[in-house]
Amino acid sequence: MSDSDESYNEASSPDSEELTGSRALSVGVSTRSTRKSNAELRSTTGGGYVWEDSIQRPWDIVQEDEGGSLANAIADLVQANKRKRLFYEQTPLQRGIIRHLMLVLDLSSAMADKDLRPSRYQLSLQYAIQFINEYFEQNPISQLGVIGMKDGLARLISQLGGNPTEHVAAIQALKKDEPAGVPSLQNALEMARGALYHVPSHGTKEVVIIFGALISCDPGDIHKTVATLKAEQIRVRVVGLAAQVAVCKELCQQTNDGDLASTYGVILNEQHFKEVLLNACTPPASTLNEKAKSKSGSELMRMGFPSRVVETTPSFCACHTRLLKGGYLCPRCNVKVCSLPTECPACGLTLILSTHLARSYHHLMPLKNWYEVEWPEARSSKTSACFSCSKPFALPSVHTASTKIRIIAGSSTVSSSTRQEKESLATGRFRCPTCRKQFCIDCDLFAHEVLHNCPGCEAAGPSGRQYSTTAKPAGEILPQTNAGSRFSSAPISI
Amino acid sequence: MCDLKRTLDAGGNCILEMPSGTGKTISLLSLTISYQMFYPERRKIVYCSRTMSEIEKALTELRSLMAFREKELGRKEPFRGLGLTSRKNLCLHPEVRRERKGAVVDEKCRSLTSSFVMEQKKAGKNPKLCEYHENLYELEPHNLIPEGVWTFDSLMQYCEETKQCPYFTVRRMMSLCNIVIYSFHYLLDPKIAERVSKELSKDSIIIFDEAHNIDNVCIESLSIDLTEGTLQKALRGVNDLGKQIDEMKASDSEKLQDEYQRLVEGLREADQAREEDVFMANPVLPDDLLKEAIPGNIRRAEHFVAFLKRFVEYLKTRMQVRHVISETPPSFLQHLKELTFIERKPLRFTSERLTSLIRTLELTNVEQFVALKEIAMFATLVSTYEQGFMLILEPFESDTATVPNPILHFTCLDASIAIKPVFERFASVIITSGTISPLDMYPKMLNFETVLQESYTMTLTRRSFLPLIVTRGSDQVAISSRFEIRNDPSVVRNYGNLFIEFSKLTPDGLVVFFPSYLYMESIISMWQTMGILDEVWKYKLILVETPDSQETSLALEAFRTACGNGRGAALLCVARGKVSEGIDFDHHYGRTVLMIGVPFQYTESRILKARLEFMRENYHIRENDFLSFDAMRHGAQCLGRVLRGKDDYGIMVLADKRFSRKRTQLPKWINQAIMDSDVNLSTDMAVAAAKKFLRTMAQPMDDKDQEGVSVWSLSDLLRVQEEQRIEEAAKAAYEAKKKPEADSSKMDLDEEDYFDDTDDIYGFTLSDDEMLLELDI
Repeated sequence: MSDSDESYNEASSPDSEELTGSRALSVGVSTRSTRKSNAELRSTTGGGYVWEDSIQRPWDIVQEDEGGSLANAIADLVQANKRKRLFYEQTPLQRGIIRHLMLVLDLSSAMADKDLRPSRYQLSLQYAIQFINEYFEQNPISQLGVIGMKDGLARLISQLGGNPTEHVAAIQALKKDEPAGVPSLQNALEMARGALYHVPSHGTKEVVIIFGALISCDPGDIHKTVATLKAEQIRVRVVGLAAQVAVCKELCQQTNDGDLASTYGVILNEQHFKEVLLNACTPPASTLNEKAKSKSGSELMRMGFPSRVVETTPSFCACHTRLLKGGYLCPRCNVKVCSLPTECPACGLTLILSTHLARSYHHLMPLKNWYEVEWPEARSSKTSACFSCSKPFALPSVHTASTKIRIIAGSSTVSSSTRQEKESLATGRFRCPTCRKQFCIDCDLFAHEVLHNCPGCEAAGPSGRQYSTTAKPAGEILPQTNAGSRFSSAPISI
Repeated sequence: MCDLKRTLDAGGNCILEMPSGTGKTISLLSLTISYQMFYPERRKIVYCSRTMSEIEKALTELRSLMAFREKELGRKEPFRGLGLTSRKNLCLHPEVRRERKGAVVDEKCRSLTSSFVMEQKKAGKNPKLCEYHENLYELEPHNLIPEGVWTFDSLMQYCEETKQCPYFTVRRMMSLCNIVIYSFHYLLDPKIAERVSKELSKDSIIIFDEAHNIDNVCIESLSIDLTEGTLQKALRGVNDLGKQIDEMKASDSEKLQDEYQRLVEGLREADQAREEDVFMANPVLPDDLLKEAIPGNIRRAEHFVAFLKRFVEYLKTRMQVRHVISETPPSFLQHLKELTFIERKPLRFTSERLTSLIRTLELTNVEQFVALKEIAMFATLVSTYEQGFMLILEPFESDTATVPNPILHFTCLDASIAIKPVFERFASVIITSGTISPLDMYPKMLNFETVLQESYTMTLTRRSFLPLIVTRGSDQVAISSRFEIRNDPSVVRNYGNLFIEFSKLTPDGLVVFFPSYLYMESIISMWQTMGILDEVWKYKLILVETPDSQETSLALEAFRTACGNGRGAALLCVARGKVSEGIDFDHHYGRTVLMIGVPFQYTESRILKARLEFMRENYHIRENDFLSFDAMRHGAQCLGRVLRGKDDYGIMVLADKRFSRKRTQLPKWINQAIMDSDVNLSTDMAVAAAKKFLRTMAQPMDDKDQEGVSVWSLSDLLRVQEEQRIEEAAKAAYEAKKKPEADSSKMDLDEEDYFDDTDDIYGFTLSDDEMLLELDI
């Protein structure tokens, strides 16, 4: 969910809970925290104390329409916010979907600053938890570890692993601590490098740093560390909380083949912080170097797709030694584990569900952008309701003056259908270029951010089954792959 | 550019102010060169800059410009561009170049290349010679170096290959170049200008870049400080000279006789070879030179030596006085005459006579005569000029010192004296800088007329610098570096807090400017006791500029390293120091510049007082006007250090109550960027604004946004030209011939920005030519 929209999140999260049974726990956590943060975000606008901020006068932003009404303008703003998210990267890029990521948290005294509420420290921990959940949500077959920077040292907070709950628990435990001392980027990077050292070549190696301080007290030459990171193809992203720091800039530029804009973000406010951080959930596109490397050794990876068992008497699982009635049996050694994805504790086989693979798969083949239907076309078409949610579209306008094309959409969605909308400029209909079905803006967002499939195309598919937009996991329609999945190394192109 | 063109056509002078990093150099060069190429008379261009690195930069830009012209016009133009710098930088001789000090290099070079050494060779002896220099004679004198633009590096390389001396190559080729780039001093300092710049033709176009300090350069070039040490050395020099003469008499009295004869006839030799090794030139300006023979009483060598001795002794007695004296040259001469019977006239010829004597004696080891040279220069100057100079004798270094260390300042008060010949000789003089406001001060001070004075602003896609005027501390106490309150603990503490806050929020480099070393030292020691430095230490390394240049360069190096590796550093320096002038804090080296106090000059200085008085009397510039002009000029210069280009950004904090009133004296481009809400801030408000600014600036910048706003393509340019033509046509209907001033200057501005991006110079020479054609028709 690279660009999540706040109002949208709330609407859709109950649905996403049903997506996959096995992930219900983590999704639940994410939903709760999303709601909480949403409540906070609504009350805030910028960094620092409100009275330190420059004065924002809402009447400057909103402009009256001809009739002197503000309703249109407000609806416009709401829609514009949604619409902003509607343009996704849709070039199919080769991405490494088996990721190994070290999350580095700044726990230095600079984090005690209260320009983000409740404080930089608390907020970053909170967002870090959200990030971890989101990360595993989107990249189920990836791994993650957490490092903290405090008092000039790097501390390992949780080991590289595939279980979000462990990481979340470790970060929750940090909340009681106080930030102190100075951070050392070099120590943290060296530790991350050590942690990522044994990662097999088919996986990406990444470091994401949340950096609140403006200094880095290093024991040695950080430029050498940067050079080694580059040589080992570890990519570093930095989320700066205060200002641009030259060494971070160099770090991101060097390790990402000069791509700075998407890898080094400095936040403007809480909302932006979240966006920048969650951007890191999308797997990075493979660079030419990596491609050259993987081409030579396009290796197979062994994975197991365990079968689910439901027992009448509870038995211990091998991973947490808990008594459970259900679980998954490893196809190779028949050991029972309680949750997926994981590594088999007995034979070390990677155990996943095919839906996990499918969920990672959408990064490789993104859904095409839907284009907006204009009024002349809308009038001539017979469809009068959204294909997926069946809510009626706004009626074609009687005025002919509204032919102006606007990228930022107007306000004719079903959710807020009032009289003024008939005069608005945009139709609120979006058409899939493949199946030519029309959808409302909310379904557009939902399809692109959660489903990653077009309901119209699926309905017209060979199976002819109708998918409801909410209940079924999107992954099912993907061809089932055998244990030797080659997604990580096969170049995908359309 | 239109403005420039108009200036050139009118044949007058102009002053232009353009913000640093907006492609000043390239727009100046591109227009002047098109102009030069377009007109058949090929007016020579002389481009003067301040430091070696700036000269080098200009040469590199010139080179890319010429490459571009060649590509666009499809033919190679006969063009030669050279840069000149000191022997020290342009020497290839393996032994000589090893020397560090410029003066030593000069000496050594002279001893290997001077004309009488060559004569010795011809005479069959075998003295040591510089082979690089010798090789020059074997080349065709008009084609020592192929056409093209030569940067220093490429020049050195070429000369290394052909084994010729780069310095003399440039010197000799100067009259044949289309463009010469060198330092101010070659044109302004009469001592050097006489030799180096004599051959420039009258219609040359002179450009002074970074000329905001031009008046000080002028003054310095005509001022001399004499200390007791100088006098001692001079005396020794005179004695040596006497000995030499005796020896010479014994061995070769004919030569002395020869010289005497020549002097009687009043001959002044002019052959090229000799001129190059003149060990000192007459410090007086060309038109003040007397076209007379040297007076009789110093014609004989021994008489002259005695004369010099007397003069030095006289100066020595003057130095013994234990109170401050300031007098004008005429009264000094009067006194001199009473005591020593030295007349004014022979005094005027002192330096010339000394030169001739030394040449006759064939002394190569001129080092020991440096002090004597200074005395002779002093004598000549003091007897030549009555107006605009002042002699000040300060027996003590400072008011509290008890050990006398007398210094005789002979200062030039009138900046226009040195620059006068430049304005008189050359038709077009263009003075430009990033910070030269207020513009009308310069014509007044330098005593010339301008065709045009213009200050341009910057067109930027984003607000890339944030000037803030902080007038109060967090406790609302006004902060100021005014003398009476500046050591007040509350003011110092407020400055300290400001420093702490900004060191917290600034990434990487922070530069703090103080008005003087004295104040900096006192404030630092107070901060130390208040614990402010300890607090800052947590966020930044603290480095301090000292008067010692080596220490400072070490500090600078440490500063750059600290900024580079993320530790961050704060550099405390002085607004008139070395750092404020020549060193750029681009990008992360300077994200914030903090001006603590208004950098006024030390008003108790007698030299300054004399100068102020002089200016009030002669040019009707009020003391306060000049002082605040000077302060703001230096302030602006410091502020300009952080912003060196389009992608750069920085915060400028002016921390003094008085800045809010002096706002208008800042350069237009800075002044324009100050929002009304930012002129009267307290520390905490400034901190909030700065934080926000830094976050905004850190957002990725899209290059495409700049297009059409601050970077123009050819089509944009044509569109605007078209619009302007229409506008102009409309205006022409009203006013027959008058050009729409406002429009053309706007256009000009836009064009400048268009040239900013040297990578994106597509199509500009074309448009230059076009424009020229247009305007000519």
